[in-house]
Amino acid sequence: MPIEPFLTLEGVRYRFPGDPADTVAGVDWSLPRGAIHCLLGRSGCGKTTLLKLAAGLLAPDDGAIRIDGVPLRGPSPRVGFVFQAPTLLDWLSALDNVLLPVSLKRRPKASDRDEASDLLAAMGLGALAGRRPAALSGGQRSRVAMARALIGRPDLLLLDEPFAALDALTREELQDDLLRLCASRGTAALFVTHDIAEAVYLGDRVGVMAAGRLVHEGAVPLPRPRPPGIRYEPAFGAACRALRAIMDEASDAPSPPIGRAA
Amino acid sequence: MRARLASALLLAGLVAAWEAWCRSGAVSPLVLPAPSAVAETLWGEIASGRLWPHLRVTATEMALGLLAGTVLGLGAGILLAEWPALHRVLRPYVLASQLVPKLALGPLLILWFGFGLTPTVVVTALICFFPLFETTLTGVTQVDPGQRELFRMLGAGRLQTLLRLKLPSALPVILAGFRVAIVLALVGAVVGEFVGGRQGLGASIVAAQSVMDSSLIVALFVVITALGMAVYEAARGLEALILRRYARG
Repeated sequence: MPIEPFLTLEGVRYRFPGDPADTVAGVDWSLPRGAIHCLLGRSGCGKTTLLKLAAGLLAPDDGAIRIDGVPLRGPSPRVGFVFQAPTLLDWLSALDNVLLPVSLKRRPKASDRDEASDLLAAMGLGALAGRRPAALSGGQRSRVAMARALIGRPDLLLLDEPFAALDALTREELQDDLLRLCASRGTAALFVTHDIAEAVYLGDRVGVMAAGRLVHEGAVPLPRPRPPGIRYEPAFGAACRALRAIMDEASDAPSPPIGRAA
Repeated sequence: MRARLASALLLAGLVAAWEAWCRSGAVSPLVLPAPSAVAETLWGEIASGRLWPHLRVTATEMALGLLAGTVLGLGAGILLAEWPALHRVLRPYVLASQLVPKLALGPLLILWFGFGLTPTVVVTALICFFPLFETTLTGVTQVDPGQRELFRMLGAGRLQTLLRLKLPSALPVILAGFRVAIVLALVGAVVGEFVGGRQGLGASIVAAQSVMDSSLIVALFVVITALGMAVYEAARGLEALILRRYARG
């Protein structure tokens, strides 16, 4: 029995005012619950714009976006977003930053504080809950931002290259934190990245975007769970090479989009 | 500590040189009174109690003008930052209101409000308005776009975004504007009294000038400077206290 998609994009187009071409040029994609999808592409290919469309931060010029079958009309509380920069509020503690989505709706209860503390503890930041962002490292700030996105128990997490500015080791730690938390909470994720290895390590499925179009979508041929050492196995290298070939081909001569014709 | 000592030594050196120059007879006491004469006059004003009512009037004008200018500047800054269309319409008028020399408004304000506290408070408020308006407008409009998007994503309303994001982000800039406004408030109060005041430190300077009492004029300069420094330092202390909560940097 096919899995009911949670996020559905149908023929989605978007052009920034004054631009000569569509930034997102007719994308069809369905993301089931619980799975981790990575959206891979070179800088400027439209992947962040597609993510913002899926978040409801931008409205498509054409096409439809549905969350659990309901047309998306704006940001949804069922969707969490992790931005490129952690975007923490400097004047709040790590705990209060995590609680921000709750405190904007109502006064946080003891149970909300417990959940925020648990999330920070799960990220290894239990002892730093009272610290302000200025007193945290880049990796710790990214963890707080991830905890903030997860506090409302969203069904879908959208992540826009959140680890791009971090060093390789911290990035790998955060990737494992993300996988663990998504698996334990049953949260689906759409993770935008330009790093092929990151997409292969994180994704159940990977979509490749070029010139505003989704030129490839397929499963990652690696088992779950994936230990960190899998990055050095031949199968991992082969999966990376296959995606690289698709990206090279797409940038040499743009391929026709998959799914619905543009 | 060492810098403060150096500052105090420099002041002592300058005062000593000034005293020596005046005692040498190179300059008439009417043109430049010796520091010892100024100190004597100042002590006389303090001991006789003549200074306090004037100090109280200037401090009151300064406080009321600062309060009104701050409330108006903050309010107008927020309003124009939140409604860009209103900003485009009203900006030239706000600018024009600031380009008119405030002293030139004095006679008109006396016609409208009479002599006394009110015209000086109005001049002070007009002078304090601009730094608060500019810093609030700049601070509120220059909030990090990523954080704005975050608030949109979290479904925050306009008022919530203003109170929970824009104003806290802009607070350091607004407080810097407030510090500038404090200095200008004293200038506004004293200059306002030049035109329409009957009491206050500025009015006392005009009165001292009419009797050519240069010692009293300089003594009043000292009082005005001390008042300004005390209020400025108090504002800096308040700013540090508020910003400690924000732990930037």
